Amino acid sequence: MLTLGPIAFAAPWLLLALSVLPVLWWLLRVTPPAPKRQDFPAIGLLRDLPAPEETPSRTPWWLLLLRLVAAALVILGLARPVWGPSVAGRGDGALLIVLDDGWAAGADWPDRIAAAEAALANAARDGRRVALLPTAPAAAPEGVRATALMPAEELRGRLAALRPKPWAPDREAALAALNAWRQANPGPITTLWIADGLEHSASGDATTPFGEALAAAGNLTVARAEGRPTRVLIPPRAEAERLVVQLRTTPLPVPSEVVVLARTGDGRTLDRAVLPVPAHATEAEAALPLPLEIRNQVVRLDLDGTAGANATILLDERFRRRPVGLIAGGAESAAEVPLIGELFYLDRALSPFAELRRGTVEQLLQRRLSVLVLADRPITDEREREALARWVQEGGTLVRFAGARVAESPDGLLPVPLRAGERQIGGALSWERPQALAPFPEGSPFSGLVPPNEVTVERQVLAEPSAQLTGKTWARLADGTPLVTQEGRGAGRIVLFHVTANADWSNLPLSGLFVEMLKRIVSLSAGVAGAEGDTPMAPLETLDGLGRLGPPPPGAQPLAASRFGEEVASPRHPPGWYGSGTAGSDTAQRRALNLGAGIPAPRLAAALPASASLQGIGGVPTEQDLGPWLLAAALMLLALDLIASLWLRGVLGRGALAVARALPLALLLALPTSLAAQSPQPDGSAALATRLAYVLTGNAEVDAISHQGLVGLSDFVNRRTAAALADPYGVDPGRDDLSFFPLLYWPVLSDAPQPDAQATAALNAFMRQGGIILFDTRDEGSGEGFAPGARQALRRVTRDLTVPPLAPVPEDHVLRRAFYLLQDLPGRFTGGTVWVARDQDRANDSVSPVIIGGHDWAAAWALDARGNNPYAVVPGGTRQRTLAYRFGVNLVMYALTGNYKGDQVHVPAILERIGN
Amino acid sequence: MARLPPSLAVPWAEQLGASLPPLLVEAERVAATVMPGLHGRRRAGPGEAFWQFRAYVAGDLVSRIDWRQSGKSDRLFIRETEWEAAQTVALWCATGPGMDWRSSKEVPSKAMRAQLLLLALSSLLLRGGERVRLFGLPRPFAGRQALPSLAGALAQMAPVPEDPRIARHARAVLFGDFWEPLEETKARIGTLAAQGVRGHMLQVLDPAEETLPYAGRIRFEGVAGSAAPPALVPRVEAVRELYAERLARHRAALAALAQSAGWSFACHRTDQPPETALLALHQILAPA
Repeated sequence: MLTLGPIAFAAPWLLLALSVLPVLWWLLRVTPPAPKRQDFPAIGLLRDLPAPEETPSRTPWWLLLLRLVAAALVILGLARPVWGPSVAGRGDGALLIVLDDGWAAGADWPDRIAAAEAALANAARDGRRVALLPTAPAAAPEGVRATALMPAEELRGRLAALRPKPWAPDREAALAALNAWRQANPGPITTLWIADGLEHSASGDATTPFGEALAAAGNLTVARAEGRPTRVLIPPRAEAERLVVQLRTTPLPVPSEVVVLARTGDGRTLDRAVLPVPAHATEAEAALPLPLEIRNQVVRLDLDGTAGANATILLDERFRRRPVGLIAGGAESAAEVPLIGELFYLDRALSPFAELRRGTVEQLLQRRLSVLVLADRPITDEREREALARWVQEGGTLVRFAGARVAESPDGLLPVPLRAGERQIGGALSWERPQALAPFPEGSPFSGLVPPNEVTVERQVLAEPSAQLTGKTWARLADGTPLVTQEGRGAGRIVLFHVTANADWSNLPLSGLFVEMLKRIVSLSAGVAGAEGDTPMAPLETLDGLGRLGPPPPGAQPLAASRFGEEVASPRHPPGWYGSGTAGSDTAQRRALNLGAGIPAPRLAAALPASASLQGIGGVPTEQDLGPWLLAAALMLLALDLIASLWLRGVLGRGALAVARALPLALLLALPTSLAAQSPQPDGSAALATRLAYVLTGNAEVDAISHQGLVGLSDFVNRRTAAALADPYGVDPGRDDLSFFPLLYWPVLSDAPQPDAQATAALNAFMRQGGIILFDTRDEGSGEGFAPGARQALRRVTRDLTVPPLAPVPEDHVLRRAFYLLQDLPGRFTGGTVWVARDQDRANDSVSPVIIGGHDWAAAWALDARGNNPYAVVPGGTRQRTLAYRFGVNLVMYALTGNYKGDQVHVPAILERIGN
Repeated sequence: MARLPPSLAVPWAEQLGASLPPLLVEAERVAATVMPGLHGRRRAGPGEAFWQFRAYVAGDLVSRIDWRQSGKSDRLFIRETEWEAAQTVALWCATGPGMDWRSSKEVPSKAMRAQLLLLALSSLLLRGGERVRLFGLPRPFAGRQALPSLAGALAQMAPVPEDPRIARHARAVLFGDFWEPLEETKARIGTLAAQGVRGHMLQVLDPAEETLPYAGRIRFEGVAGSAAPPALVPRVEAVRELYAERLARHRAALAALAQSAGWSFACHRTDQPPETALLALHQILAPA
C-alpha cells in the first residue's frame, strides 16, 4: 500500500499507466471532427450551390482536455485509492474485537458498529484473522462467549447481525470467556475494546480486572464515546394531578436539559416534560401535569432523542387503575336513594374516573383496593378495625366522612381525635351564619383549587385542638376550623371530611369542588396492580436494546408477580410487558418490568490500564474508498464527451428532442392500448359530444337517408338554437351502448325482424333511463301506401318493448311547444297521426319514451353533400319543409330538456310580471 | 409540437379573432347551389325575413294565403320570405414533418401557426354565419359552436389541397410553406381554379428559412420523412445572399401562379404576431 498524505493506494503499480496519457493526447488531436448536421425544410433552395474555400478544422482543446481527464480518472480509480485510511485495530497478530453491547450501547450503536467495521476493513486489507467478544450475555444457553478466529469478511456478517441487548454487560463472565478463548488461541493478538465506559456491577469494580486482562493479552485500544452522559429513566412517582418523572445520569460538568415524552399505546405524544440537569448532578426530576383521565392513557415515557431500554419506562396498571370501595353507615338501600342517600353524591363524583366497588369491609379488602370511602360509618368490630389498619399500613387510602354516627362514637381510625358531638353553625337556634371555605393552604393536595363562595357548611364534627392539627389539615373553614384532615400511617393515609357525604351538613357535595377534591385524593393514592403473589406472568412484548417493543426473545422466562419490584432485567427476564390470564378477559393482567427500576444508578468505570491507547468513536466519518467515485466521475465525463461530440456534429438538438418526446409517448401509448383491449366498448367517442342516433336497419338506402336526415337536422339545430350536436351515429341496439344518445330515430321497414333478447333489454333500459325512440313507419297521411306492411312490422318490433299506453299528440303537448309553436308535425308526408304516451309518468319528467308516426321525417330533413334537400316533400312547398325542420327542433329540445317548457309552475309569476 | 390540443387552440384562436368584426365573405356570385345562410338572396325562398306579398295564383296552396293581408283588400296575397344563403369557405393547412420544423424554441412551429390562423379565421367566419369546410371532410361546419368540432377534425384533413366535393363559387384559403416544386403547386391550384374555386395562399415560413442564420461547415438534410438528398455547404455565411435571391425568385413564381389562377398570395413569418396575417386575410375575404 502506497500512502500519499491522506490518500493511500491499494494497487499503486497501476499509476504507471498515467505515462500513456501524452500518447493519447496526440492520437486524439490528429482526428478531425465530423461536419455539423442541420435539418432544414427549404433544402431545395440550397442544392447545387457554388462551393467556396474549405476550412480545416480540429478537435477543440476543451474536448481534448475532457477526454484526457476522463482517462486519468479511470487510471486513478483502478489504483484503488482510500481517503484517510484508519488506524483502528492496526497491529500484529489476530484482531480481537471486544464490544460492550449492553443497554448503554443503544444510544450510539451505529457509531460502535462503524468503529468495529473500520477495524474489520483494516484487518481485511492486511489479511488478518478476527474474533469478536460481545460482553453482554446473549440469550440464556450461550451466555458470554467469544467467536473463533475467522477471516474478516466472515465476521462482518456476524457483526451486522449483532443488536444491543436491553440488559447490562457481564464483565466477570466476559473475563472468564476471554481466558477460555486465550487458552484456545495463545498467539499474539491486538485488541480493540469498544467500551460503554460504565461500571455495571452494583458495588465494587469489575471493569479493572477485565481491562487488565485485555491489556496483558496484547496491544489494547479502547474506543469510547467521550463527553456523552449515560441516562436512565426510573419509574415515576404518581402525585395528585401530576406524574413526577425521574432520571438518573452520569454527571456532566455543564448543566443540560433532558426532554421526556409521555406517549400512548399507539405512539401519540400526549405531553412532554423538560428535566433540567444541573452541572455534576446525578439525578433530575420534573413534573408532568396530567389530569387522571389523560394520565390513564399514558403507557410509556421516553427520553427524547435517545434509543435504548434505559430511555423507556413502561407504565402498567399501577399507574392507572384506582379501585375505590364505597361503604355507607346506614342501611344499604337508604344509601343509594337519589339526592339524599349517603353514597349518591360519591357515586356520581367518582364513577367517571375510578372503578367503584360495593360490599362489606371484608369483601372489599379481599381484592386490591386503592381507596376505601366510609360514609358516616363507625368501625366497631375489632377484627374489621385490625384489617383496615393493616391495609392502610400497606398503602391504602382510607377516606372517611363524618356524620351523626361517627360523631357519636369516634374510633381509632381517624386522623385526629374528635370532640364528642357535632357543631352546628347556622340554623334556627344559632346566631352564627353558615361558614364558607377558606383558601386551601399550601402543601395541601387541594392547593390551586378555588373554593366557590356558595359552598357553606352548617354542621361539622370538631377536632380536639392539638399542636399537629395545622400540619394535618388539608382544608379549613373561613373561621379556621379544619374541614378536611389527614394523617399518614405507614405507606398509606387516612383522610377525614368533617362533614357528611350528602347535603345534610353542608352543600359541599353539591358543588364541582367536591368532584375535584375527590379526584385529587384518588390520584394521590397508590394504584394497584392486578395480580399479586406468585402468579407467573409470561413475557408478552419486550423491549430490545434500541427501546423498541417486539416479540419476546426465545430465552425469556415467565416472572412471578411478586418479584416485579426487585427483578433486574436479564436475558431470562428482558424488560417489557408481562402478563397472565387470557388476553381481553376480566382476569387479564399486565405488568411492566422496567430496566431503570432494577439497575443501580449509572456510574463511570474505573480508569483504564495505563498501556491502553484511547480512541473516540462517532463524529468524524472513517476512511472512504475513493475508487468507485473516481470511476463514476470518469463515466460522467465520458457521457459528457459523447453529448459534446454529438452536439458538435449537430446530431443533438432534434435527435435528443425526438427521443425525449417519443419516450413518454410510447409509454403512454402502451398503457391505453392494453386498457382498451379489456374494455367492452372499444369506441368511446360517442360520449364526447351530444349527438343523435338512428337504428341501423340493414337496408343501405334507408340507413343513408336516416344519416342524411339526422345530419340535416343537427345542422339546423346548431344554426337555430344553443344546442351543439355532433355528427349522428348509426347504432345497433344490444351491441352498441345506447346510454350516450338522447334520441333514437328508428325507421321501421316492413321486413324488420323482432329484436332479440339482448337488444330488447338494451332498448327497455334506454327508455327507462329517459331516452326517446322515434318510430317512423313512413306511410302516414299523404304518404299512405308508400311502405306497405310497416305497421305490422312495428307491432312485431315493439312486442317485447315496454311501450306505455299511447294517445295522439294533444294540442297542448310539449312536443308542439318546446321551441316553435306547431299545429302539425309534418315530415316528408303530412296529415297522419303522431302518437305519444297517454299518461303522465313522473319518473322521467313525464317525457314520453316513444313517439310513433309515419311522416318519414328523415327524408324531409335530409341534406346531401352539396347542401341540397334530395327528397321532395309531399304534397310540397317550402312551408312544409320548414315545418318539418321545426318539428325536428322541437323533438330535439324535447329530448334534451324534457318537460321544461311544459312546466306551469312559473306561469303565475310570469303573468304578474307582464302586468296582468 | 405537431398540433396544439383543441382544448388549448380553440380559446386562443377565439381570443385572436375577437379583435376583428365577424367576417361575411364577399359573395358576389352566389349560385343556386349555395346552402341557406345569411346572405340575402334578393329573391323569395326558404328564410326567416319577410320578403314580399305576392298575389295568389291558381296552384298555390290555400294554406299559404296570408289572411290578414288579404283582408285589407279584395285580392288574396301570399307572404314570401327572403331566400337566405351562406358562402362556403374551404380551408386547408399543410401538415408533415416540414411544417413541424422550427429553428428555435422561441418561435412556434409552422404547422402550429398555420393551424392557429386557420382556427382564428374559422372563428371569424362562423361568427359571420358562413360555412367552413376543411379539405377532405365530407361536411361543412356551421354554427357558432362548431369551432371545437372543427378543431377536432383538423387531424382528418386531406394531406394535399384536393377535394372534388367543394362546390363552385366557394372560396378557399390555403396555409403552408409551399416548398414543393412549383409544378406541383401549380397543378393543385389549377385543379381548384378549374372547379370554380377562388382563393388565397398564405405562405407560413420560419424566420430561419428566410434568413439562413447558420455559419460554418454544415451538412443540410431534409427533415424526417423527406427523400431529398443532403446538401453539404462548406461555409454557410458565404451563400446567404445567394439563398435570399433564390427565395425571392421562388416567392415571385408562387405569386405569379396565384395571380394567373385569379388567386392571391401573401407571406407570413412565425416570429411575427398572428394578428397581422389575420387582419390581412380579413381584408382580402371581406367585401370591400
